[in-house]
Parts: sequence; C-alpha cells; structure tokens
Amino acid sequence: MKRYSQTTGEVGESSDLSPWKTADALDLVYVGYGLLIVVLVLVSYVLGAFTWLPYDPEQIRVDLLNAPPGSAGHLLGTDFLGRDILSRLIVGIQAYFLPGLLAIVISLLLGTTLGALAGYRSGEVETLVTYFNNLVDSFPRLVLILLVIAAFKPGIYYIMVVVGVTGVPAVASLIAGKIEFLGQKNFIEAAHVLGLPSRVILLKHILWHHCMPLLVIQATIGMGEAILIETSLSYLGFGVQEPTPSWGNMVQAGANYFFQGKFWPSTAPALSILFTILGFHLLGDGLNGILEGSAGK
Amino acid sequence: MVHSSSGPEIGAPPATGAREPGIFRGAAPTFPAGTVKLAATKPITLVLARELALAALLLVGVSFVVFVILYLSPGDPFSVLLEGQISNHAARAGLREALGVPRTWYVQYLSWLGNLLQGNFGTSIRTGLPVFGEIARVALSTLYLTLGSMLVTLLIAVPIALHSSVRGTTALNWLLTMLAYVVSALPVFWLGYVAVYVIIHQFGVFPLTARIAASSERTWPFSLLPIFVLGIGNGTVSEVVRHLREEMSRVMGEDYIRTARAKGASVWRHAFKEGLLIPMTEIIASKIPFILGGAVIVEQVFNWPGMGRMAWQAAQDRDFPVIMGIAMIAATLVRLGSLLQRVVYVAVNPRASNERRGAAWAE
Amino acid sequence: MGAPLLEIENLRTYFHSRSKRAFIRAVDGVTMAIARGKTLSVVGESGSGKSVTALSIMGLLDAGPGVISGKITFRTDGGERNLLHDLEHYVTLGEQDGRIMEVSKDEAGWRKQVERIMAEVRGKEIAMIFQNPKSALNPFVTVGHQITEAIRLHTPTKHPREAKERSLYWLERVKMDSPRLRFDNYPYGLSGGMCQRAMIAMALSSEPALLIADEPTTGLDATIQSTIVGLLAELKSELGIATLLISHDIRVVSRLADDVAVMYGGTVVEYGPAPEILGAGFGLKHPYTAALLASRPSVQNVQENGGLPAIDGEVPDPIEVPRGCRFYARCNRVTDGIRDRCERREPELKEVTPGHQVRCWLYLD
Repeated sequence: MKRYSQTTGEVGESSDLSPWKTADALDLVYVGYGLLIVVLVLVSYVLGAFTWLPYDPEQIRVDLLNAPPGSAGHLLGTDFLGRDILSRLIVGIQAYFLPGLLAIVISLLLGTTLGALAGYRSGEVETLVTYFNNLVDSFPRLVLILLVIAAFKPGIYYIMVVVGVTGVPAVASLIAGKIEFLGQKNFIEAAHVLGLPSRVILLKHILWHHCMPLLVIQATIGMGEAILIETSLSYLGFGVQEPTPSWGNMVQAGANYFFQGKFWPSTAPALSILFTILGFHLLGDGLNGILEGSAGK
Repeated sequence: MVHSSSGPEIGAPPATGAREPGIFRGAAPTFPAGTVKLAATKPITLVLARELALAALLLVGVSFVVFVILYLSPGDPFSVLLEGQISNHAARAGLREALGVPRTWYVQYLSWLGNLLQGNFGTSIRTGLPVFGEIARVALSTLYLTLGSMLVTLLIAVPIALHSSVRGTTALNWLLTMLAYVVSALPVFWLGYVAVYVIIHQFGVFPLTARIAASSERTWPFSLLPIFVLGIGNGTVSEVVRHLREEMSRVMGEDYIRTARAKGASVWRHAFKEGLLIPMTEIIASKIPFILGGAVIVEQVFNWPGMGRMAWQAAQDRDFPVIMGIAMIAATLVRLGSLLQRVVYVAVNPRASNERRGAAWAE
Repeated sequence: MGAPLLEIENLRTYFHSRSKRAFIRAVDGVTMAIARGKTLSVVGESGSGKSVTALSIMGLLDAGPGVISGKITFRTDGGERNLLHDLEHYVTLGEQDGRIMEVSKDEAGWRKQVERIMAEVRGKEIAMIFQNPKSALNPFVTVGHQITEAIRLHTPTKHPREAKERSLYWLERVKMDSPRLRFDNYPYGLSGGMCQRAMIAMALSSEPALLIADEPTTGLDATIQSTIVGLLAELKSELGIATLLISHDIRVVSRLADDVAVMYGGTVVEYGPAPEILGAGFGLKHPYTAALLASRPSVQNVQENGGLPAIDGEVPDPIEVPRGCRFYARCNRVTDGIRDRCERREPELKEVTPGHQVRCWLYLD
C-alpha cells in the first residue's frame, strides 16, 4: 500500500530545497557512515603516526595468547602471540593510507588531464587517449604489480604509483564524457563568445563546478581500491613484513590458527578491511545519489 | 547507445518513381545505392576484422610496456631473457660472442617480440623449463577458475539486478543489494579461509591439494570451492548488479518497450537483448582483469596450481620470463574477452555495422 | 447508433512529485465516449493530459499513484467490460476543500488487476500507435517480425509463413513501398513515415475494435505527416474502425475527426461533433478552442488578425491547479459579470447545442 499526500498551502519550488533536504534518507545514511569511516581512518592514522597506541603492537605476551575481545584491557583482544589487536589494526592503517592518497592523487591528476584533453579536442588526441586507456585496462592490476615487483622489488609508494596509473582510464573517461556532455550545452560557447580569456580558465570553470563531485566520488573509489591492493599484496607477502602489522599480513599470519578454530586474529583485520572499504564505497555512492537527485529534480 | 540522433536516412523510396502496385514479385529491383542492404562485403566481418586489428595493436602496446618495465629494471634481465629464448647451450654461447656490441633496445624488443609470436617465451630462470610450456600446463586451471567464477558472479548478480529493476525498490532488494555490497568489500582471502574451514570441519578433509582432490571421485566437489570463493569475493558483484540494474531500468523506459506492452507482447523477449544480454557481456568483459587478479589470490589460498600462483612465485624469484609471459597471456585473455563482447554486440545490434566506433567511453 | 464502444467516465490520473510533495493532476476528471466506427479526437497542448488519458485506458502507466478514479466501459461483441473494474478496492482517497489531497493505493495489487483485465485487450481489441515511430519500434528486430509477432499473438494465424503472408498483406494495405523488401528491414533502415506505416500495419493486423493513435504525426516531416493522415483517413473509411486520435495539431484533427474533445489542464473543456467545434466563427465555443483555431497558421488567420495570434500565457502547471476555471489566466473573453466566478469556481460542462458541451461560465446562466 503506498500513500501519497499533498501538504496544504503553497507548494514549494523544488529548487528552493537544498540537495540535502531532497536527498534520499538512505543516501544520507550512506554518506554518514562513510564519513564516520573516513574520520576513524584519519584519527587512526594520526594515532599510528605518533604511536599513541594503547599497547605496543609488537609486544608479545605469552601469557595472554588469543585472548577474546574485552579481556584484560585489550579492547579487541590479542592475537596468537599475545599482541594487542587494536593497536596492530591502528598501525596497519599506516601501510595503506598515505600510499593510497598518492595513488588517488596520481589517478585524479593524470586522469583529469587526459580526460580534459580528450574531451575538449576530439580527433587524434582523443584516439590516443582512448588507446592509452584501453592499454592500461588490458592489464590485471595485480599481475602488473607482480611484474613490477619482479623487476624492481619496489617499496609500497612505487607500487601505489602503478596503482594510480591503472586508475587513470576510469577517471579520464568520466571526465571526457562529462566534458563532451557539457560541450553540447550552450554555455561553453557563450563563454567563448564572451571572450573569456583562455581555455584554461574555461576548464577551471568546467572542472571546478561540474567535475568536482565526480572527482570526489572517484577518490573514494580509489581509496577503496588502494586498500584492497595493499592488503592483497601484504597478504601475498609482498608488502609490509612481519612483525610490522598490515591488515593483509595479519589475516595471513592468523591463517593456521583460523583452521584450528581460533578465528579472531584473522577475522578482526578482515572485518576492518570490510568495513573500511564498505565505508568508502558507500560514501561515494551516497554522494552520487545525493548529487544525482538534486540534478534530476 | 543503440539510437543515434543523426544517421543516414537509408531507405528512401526507390528511384523507380511510382509505388509498387502489389506484393513484390519477380526479379530484384534496381535500387539506388543508398537503400537498405549494403552490397558485397558482409558488414559483420568488416567490423570484426577491425576489432581484431585493434586488439592486436593493443597487445603490441602491452608487449612494449612489459618490455620497458623489464628493460628499466636494475641488472640486465633482458639479456637473460633473450638468452633464455635460445635453448641450445652452444648457440647461447655463440650469441654472447656475437654480441660483442650491446644491441639497441628496439632490436632487443623486436627480437623478443618475434620470438614471442612464434611461441617462444623463453625459459624459466627457476626451473629452466620453457615458459610457454609451463604456462600452458597451468593455464587451463586458471581458465577454469576464471570462467567458473564469472558464472557464479552472474548467478548471484543477475537475479538481484532483474528483481530490482522490475519490481522497483522493495525492502527485499535493498537487502540483497546491500548484501552484494558487503560481499564485494570482503577480502577474498579471508573468505577463502572460511570456505576451507567449513570444508575441514564438515568433511574432515583438508583440501590443500584441491586440484588433486578434484580428480578423485569422492572429492571432486572441492574443486568447486575456489570458483565459488572467487565468484563471490572478487569484488565485482556490486558493480555487476548496479550496471545490470541501470541498463535494464533504462531499457524498460524505452519507447519500444512501451509499444511491446501496448501490443500485448512479452516484454521480456523485447527487453532481453538490450537490457540483459549486452550489458552482461559488457560488464563481464570489463571485469576480466579483476577476476584474473583475484585468481592470483584465490590460487594462493587454495594452493591451486594455476597461472596466478605461478605469477606469485615468479615475483618472489624475480623470474622475469615467467612473469612477462603471464602478463602477456593475461592481457591477451582480457582483449579476447573484449573482442568476444564486441562480437556479441555486433551480432545482436543491426546498426552496429554502420555505427562509427567513436570513443571507447562505452567500453 | 447504439451505445458507445468506449466510454470514459470521470477518469482521474494523478502522479506525485516527491521533491515538491504535491500531486501532479494530469487527468482530473475526464468524461468522453467513442462511438462505434467513429473517430474521437482529443486536442490540446502538451501537458493537457491527452496522452495520459490514452495510457490510462491501456493500463500502461508505471508511475505512482496513476489511475485513481473512474470507469471505462468497453462494449464489444463479447460483452461489456469495465477496464477499471474494482479500482475502488485498491484506492482510498482523502479530500480536503473539495480537492483530493491524499491517495492510498495498493499499486502492486492494482497492477496485477490491470494485467488480468487488459491481457486479452491489449493489441487484440484495442491497439495503440505512438509518436516518434522510429524509436517506438524495437531496433533489434526486423519490422516484418514485429508485425508477425502481433499476428501470431492475436489472430488464429499461428504458422510463421502464413503470418508473414498476412503481414505482407497489411504492409500493402498501409501503402508501404516494396513490402517484401521492407519486411526484412530494421527500423533504422526505414524513414519515419515508413516506420509509422509499419506500426499502423502492426496495430491493425489483429483487427482491433479500437485504435488509439497517440500523436501519430508528431516527429515526422511535414509532408510525410500529410500522407500519414491521408492513410489514416483511407483506412478509416475502408475498415470502419473506431479511433481515438490524440493530437495537438488541429489540421490533422480536422481531416480525421468525427467528434472532438478539447482538453485543457487535465479536463475536457469542450466536447462535441467535429464540424461544430472546428467550424468557422466563434459561435458557441470555449475561449480556448476559439483561440486554438485562431492561432492556426493560415493565410486567412493572418489576414483577419493582422498577424498570427498566439495565446498569451503559459501552459498550466499540473501541480498548482487553480481554484477556479483553469483557463482563466489566459482567457481573453472574461466579462465583468462572470469574472468573480471564473476566479473562484470551476464551471461544469453545459450542453450549448445538442451533443455539444462547453465548460465555461459564459454559457452557464
């Protein structure tokens, strides 16, 4: 049964209502959750950077192996070597946070440049950029990274550069598509006619006003991917090495104990990965929903 | 996507002037060149030829990238690689002699590429065996994983997407969509552990050698496990759901679907091609790289002897020939998938042969 | 004459704007009837609710709440049916100040009900053709196949080859050039006019009792429009099929209509035989109809008025429906004597000559 009603009195103009008011409640929840995760990650990053941790993440406590959450002051319990899990999780963020930002920055900068070039001047430039996009997309990211690892045995930052580059096609095609779409509208022509100085300034107009939300959403997706890659790599043994914690190597280290029925050391980091990536995805989705809603109505 | 606003008005009345008086009988009329059926070359083969050429061009680019990465790496992996492509020990020594002067990079590249095209991928540094043979040995296992997991992903995503787009937003499909999201954010390696644990405790068998278990009569279901884990955990479920749902919803709103309903015809029959078949092939083709990447991890978890695990080993050992070969094969698989998707699109869409390919934003 | 083939009584179709939290009163109490073998044309500007009326008859509306009240009686040889049977059981209305302010509707249930009722009707007893024929046909299927699909669904002809023969027959009947060739063409390969012919063939191939044509000439080139209208006129006299023709183009209407219903702002403001309504002179017409006729591009109009007269003002907002007469804001024939009523109360339909009704305070005394 669906109920519809009309409020008595003056009918409001939809443009009067800000996008936040007309947004789907669900999208707001998504954004709220996403922001919560972002805040947690930021806070944890700072805590980890200054080692303001409840416990020393590498300190082994033989007397307190595999303690369940809440025991003896360990909020999330201890792992199979008695190390505090919460502290290890917090430190684990160091492994992906800054590198992830690097990847995002590269994706967005390079992607926007290429996308703008392709969208603004069609023809050969567009073909070249398309070729580049398809080329990058042809590689499974993990395989490409393994290739790079085989060649250089690089640190995580270099790997994130590769991740950033692999994220370029997505951003570029979005930006190019948006510019083509906007190009069909008249205001760009109008601006040209009005003698707005150079196309660069025009691009600032377009990019800032219209592409910004798109880029923010891409950034959230990018962070999710960076987390996935870093944790996968450290799981495979290529990233941060024991005893330094990374969410990936924590899961891997706890594997044997998992099969013995001691799930928590592997599951705690896995859940962290889950909730964090989910947070970034939902943030992007929620923002997308809100912005589309305000554009559509 | 299907309609283009501009486009040749093919189908003008024949130049013969007066209308045909009745049901057309007799010899084929002479219509002006502009009318409907294109002459001579079947348009589909033309399109396919073009797609093949594009794929080849891209693969050349891939090989170049792979080459450059190795060329730039410290040490001299390239000569190692090149020498590895010559199996005869004596010939190898001979080459070293002949190579008094270091060769230029493009000569190296071309000779490596030439060998590659002949199937000579060099020899593994670790095992000394020819790389191509090694990869071929395990490629099938990975292919099995990849294709199987695609099927699993579709089995989960398609019902959710269809239900969403047809029924609109209900509590049930919100729940399912949310579930798809959560599942997509799950780390696949942990999921693998859960699966393994369940197997151990339900069946008392440790499927460390799931592949071997597959050959035995009693334990073949174990080989399905990695497929399910990869299919569920490869992180693409939510995107597949979203893409399918968006496309189906869009198609449902198209004019021709309204006509079909007004006519009392089966909406499904009319919406299927553009609403399900094409989007499905599109999204799957675009997700092949992700699935292959996931295979690397899943093969680790299950100790599954496939290309992914081989790649991991090669990265550990810095076994360039192997990892380069796998990279090339993986890229080839990706392009193959893309090609197949284009084939389906052209086969289904009668305008495709006339459309300009345009920007690959649609890819 | 007999009872009308299709009789619509007090049809109301509302949609809802979530952002404005208000109803879009697309069809707000419409009553009209189509006589057997005759053409009723519904005329009006875009947004007047004409297409929504047609879609309401066919049950093709997806947006909520959709049809909320009314009765549509369909009289065929098989009997009499209400196409909105049991609607009251699915809808509850809440009124305030004589205006509907709340709707509760079991949409899923009603949808099932509509499918039950319309399954036998759609395509078989009532066929519909649309505007923009190129996009209204399935681009993935040949034109011929789409026609044979209709034949195989709704006529006893089930065998593909026989159905094809039948399709070719109908393609000929709609004067399609080289039907055999066009049969295997895809819609993209046909011009707009040809696509419309194909759609007409598809609709008529099941020999329905009623044809609903929703702006069949819109989207076509001007010269083609004329030929399609000519085709429809010919088919009408050859087949004697009843038609509901929806159009904003008075020239099309004047060539095809036996009866005319003029819609404005979701209601019928004038209704009657075509010659009277479309005839020259102001006579007993609704001010809107008069203005429509005066704004027809023609030498006579321009000469008479020293220019092409347009109707002042904007198309009415289906959300903010005025309290009084809906045309009041744009009406140029308001007199002081009735101004007060025009502003405050909506007039009823009043018969000014036999069979001819007008909804205007000018005639309600």
